[in-house]
Amino acid sequence: MVKCAIGREREVAVCLMQKCIDRGPELQIRSAIALDHLKNFIYIEADKEAHVKEAIKGMRNIFTGKIMLVPIKEMTDVLSVESKAIDISRDTWVRLKIGTYKGDLAKVVDVDNVRQRATVKVIPRIDLQALSNKLEGREVPKKKAFTPPARFMNIDEARELHIRVERRRDPATGDYFEKIEGMMFKDGFLYKNVSLKSLSTQNVQPTFDELEKFRQPGETGDGDMSSLSTLFANRKKGHFMKGDRVIVVKGDLRNLKGWVEKVEEDTVHIKPNEKGLPKTLAISDKDLCKYFEPGNHVKVVSGATEGATGMVVSVEGHVVNLVSDTTKELIRVFADNVVESSEVTSGVTKIGDYELHDLVVLDDNSFGVIIRVESEAFQVLKGVPERPDVALARLREIKYKVDKKIFAKDRYKNTLSVKDVVKILDGPCRGKQGPVEHIYKGVLFIYDRHHLEHAGFICVKSESCMMVGGSRANGERNGNSFTSKFSHLRTPPRVPTSSMRPPRGGYGGHNNFGGRGGGRGHDALIGATVKIRLGHYKGCKGRVKDVKGSTVRIELESQMKVVAVDRSHISDNVNVTPSRETSRYGMGSETPMHPSRTPLHPYMTPMRDSGVTPYHDGMRTPMRDRAWNPYTPMSPPRDNWEDGNPGSWGTSPQYQPGSPPSRAYEAPTPGSGWTNTPSNNYNEAGTPRDSGSAYANAPSPYLPSTPGGQPPMTPSSAYLPGTPGGQPMTPGSGGLDMMSPVVGADSEGPWFLPDILVNVRRPGDDTTPGVIREVLPDGSSKIALGSSGNGDVVTALPNEIEVVPPRKLDKIKIMGGAHRGATGKLIGIDGTDGIVKVDDTLDVKILDMVSLAKLVQA
Amino acid sequence: MVNQGGGGSVAVAQIPTSFGHELRACLRCRLVKTYDQFRESGCENCPFFQMEDDHERVVDCTTPNFTGLISVMDPTRSWAARWLRIGKFAPGCYTLAVSEALNPDLQNICEEEHVPYVPPKRV
Repeated sequence: MVKCAIGREREVAVCLMQKCIDRGPELQIRSAIALDHLKNFIYIEADKEAHVKEAIKGMRNIFTGKIMLVPIKEMTDVLSVESKAIDISRDTWVRLKIGTYKGDLAKVVDVDNVRQRATVKVIPRIDLQALSNKLEGREVPKKKAFTPPARFMNIDEARELHIRVERRRDPATGDYFEKIEGMMFKDGFLYKNVSLKSLSTQNVQPTFDELEKFRQPGETGDGDMSSLSTLFANRKKGHFMKGDRVIVVKGDLRNLKGWVEKVEEDTVHIKPNEKGLPKTLAISDKDLCKYFEPGNHVKVVSGATEGATGMVVSVEGHVVNLVSDTTKELIRVFADNVVESSEVTSGVTKIGDYELHDLVVLDDNSFGVIIRVESEAFQVLKGVPERPDVALARLREIKYKVDKKIFAKDRYKNTLSVKDVVKILDGPCRGKQGPVEHIYKGVLFIYDRHHLEHAGFICVKSESCMMVGGSRANGERNGNSFTSKFSHLRTPPRVPTSSMRPPRGGYGGHNNFGGRGGGRGHDALIGATVKIRLGHYKGCKGRVKDVKGSTVRIELESQMKVVAVDRSHISDNVNVTPSRETSRYGMGSETPMHPSRTPLHPYMTPMRDSGVTPYHDGMRTPMRDRAWNPYTPMSPPRDNWEDGNPGSWGTSPQYQPGSPPSRAYEAPTPGSGWTNTPSNNYNEAGTPRDSGSAYANAPSPYLPSTPGGQPPMTPSSAYLPGTPGGQPMTPGSGGLDMMSPVVGADSEGPWFLPDILVNVRRPGDDTTPGVIREVLPDGSSKIALGSSGNGDVVTALPNEIEVVPPRKLDKIKIMGGAHRGATGKLIGIDGTDGIVKVDDTLDVKILDMVSLAKLVQA
Repeated sequence: MVNQGGGGSVAVAQIPTSFGHELRACLRCRLVKTYDQFRESGCENCPFFQMEDDHERVVDCTTPNFTGLISVMDPTRSWAARWLRIGKFAPGCYTLAVSEALNPDLQNICEEEHVPYVPPKRV
């Protein structure tokens, strides 16, 4: 492979050919290959590199510097790379790669292979204004960055702006076109002649909207089917799964239904429903399409409506109509994007602070109820009573949520409040009735289950309604009207309690209690007797009067007060599982997980559920034993857990050996992921365990995992905050060893050897020099007194003996280190070290003076 | 030595004189020349097509749709040429692959002449 000038690969190859012709057998290269897609390089085939060098000498466009040998095995791939081109045929869906229509979906109308061009049909993006300006000679500001939106071409509009429109007959197809400025239009579409290179045919996945747009002018459903089938022919479909129901859509076996048995690269083996056919048929996946029976419950897994679940109503070829669980609307999706599932999702019901069915005020000061939550925006039913007005609002367009308790008066001057059932007397929705969900500025938002539009919400003026259930005027104070009026509410249990209350009197709270009925969704809490656990009112008991976001208003039993307390400060004696909420707001399949969120309660205070607290207390204790940095180990599981990742349970099982009570604690949490995983996760937990380095620098998530395999006593030690030094007590003591100094003389100290000069210090005596004659096993030594060892022999203990430091040029004996026992001559002293010439080996060594002793020849 | 410079015993095919859109490749032997060169001297490897006589033939037998270019100096001794099955053809410039297959009529001609024809591999 040889480097050459970019863009000149072919030229170079041909020049080489020419050179070869001219020079004859001198040039010993065999061939030269220039690939279209490999820029800057060509391949030259020859026996020797020298031949290649010779051949390219003197050629302008080749660089002799870079010659690389390519093994023949790789060359086979190089030469076989070509056959990728798909022939573009009529009616294929393509996308334009360049120009103003870049990325736009287009349909091929005509292909000219000879000239490598094609005529495609695309939705025009014409800026008529700019066009007319140009024609009239006016200055057109260069608006390059601005792409006009895709809109069908309106000829009359063009004519109005005095743009010259000609009716032409295209010689090729015989159709009439409108020609404007050289561009051809028909039926509102722009017919563009482009080169084949500028079209991309692979992975063109038209979205439903795009296809709808194309279908609009005049095409019927048939056009849809045929266009869709070509669409699917080229699509990459890799998602047939075993057990899917499929239907054959092309070929002789069309309309045959079956089940997928096995999926291979391009073929799918299905088991057909019909008798008389072989057990399994192998069919190309291009000919198959997923099939659903009406009545199946399915979930959309890709596309714009991803995440929606619903029931199939009808199937039309590749398109499945289903009724969404959440919005009760008809959704049309491609069968490819749908899988059968029993999961019922409520979809996303909350973005930011705003939830489904909240009353919000928008930027332009209009208000409305959120009737649908989509992926990035909300559908808001505006508060315009005359006609239903739905607007799509982004999160940032919402100013705030309205939660005020406002009253309104109905036609007969009855006071209306939220949750009252009213009947509509006027207007298009006359005759409907339902509970009032919101009241704002004299406008009521009523929810009627039977009303099919706007998720059942009707917006109406309060004067156009009549309250169902009579008047409320003063009845509330007596509590009599409660039963009649609020029978549809869930307040019956509260009624008797409230009747007990009147003796207290003076409380506006009573009326409000019945009247308010609490915010939607908090009914379970309202009226419940609770104990305040934190705050100024800790220890007091009271009854919940109202719930507002995360604060709760409680009427204290002990005092004549209604106080506002944070929700997390209270615990109720009734363990209410807010399962109702979860079915609405939780992710469908994860409802059982809801109570399991409780362990996180201490870390995520404003939680909706009030049933938390029993767990709350019970849980704290094991936590304290286990981890003094409770936040660190918990955070990974919390994060992972939101994903529902079974791998995340790896952090929990390790608590098992360490603290049995914790195991019991963990049990309430869904064991679903848990039971399967312990084995896996032990492996995972195992790995950091095994590596010794985990001890020294354990990242905090692993901190809890290390004791997993340890004997139970270690967890306590391991959890001591920030005591890495403590950890080496565990078998990871290797680290310590490394830190400790070389096992050597220092730790043990020099031992005495015979024939060395020492000073003996007897208690009471002075120091006398002596020579060690013998070292006894217990450490003491026999010393002959006198500097040359001629005197008496005494026995002395090691602490009475002092080694005499040798001086320069002394004969010495080495007492410590590797050379212990060797003799030598001290040839120099350097601070605390001595430079010794060892006798036996004649090496010069530098040893600590402490390990040297003066040698005395016997 | 010098007469071997002409390609030896085998006549060397013409090499393309330009590189624009006129370049075409013979559908059977994949020889690459310009349209004009084909019109004048036909295809050296496939004389039976008689492109010199019939100018329409040039359009039928050749295509501008091809990928890659290989200049073969000595087809008998080139591994790449043999791999591409052009080892028996004259030295010259060939393409790695053409986009389309020969017409059935022309294929029949090939059969009559007992000339091997391999249609391009479709993926």
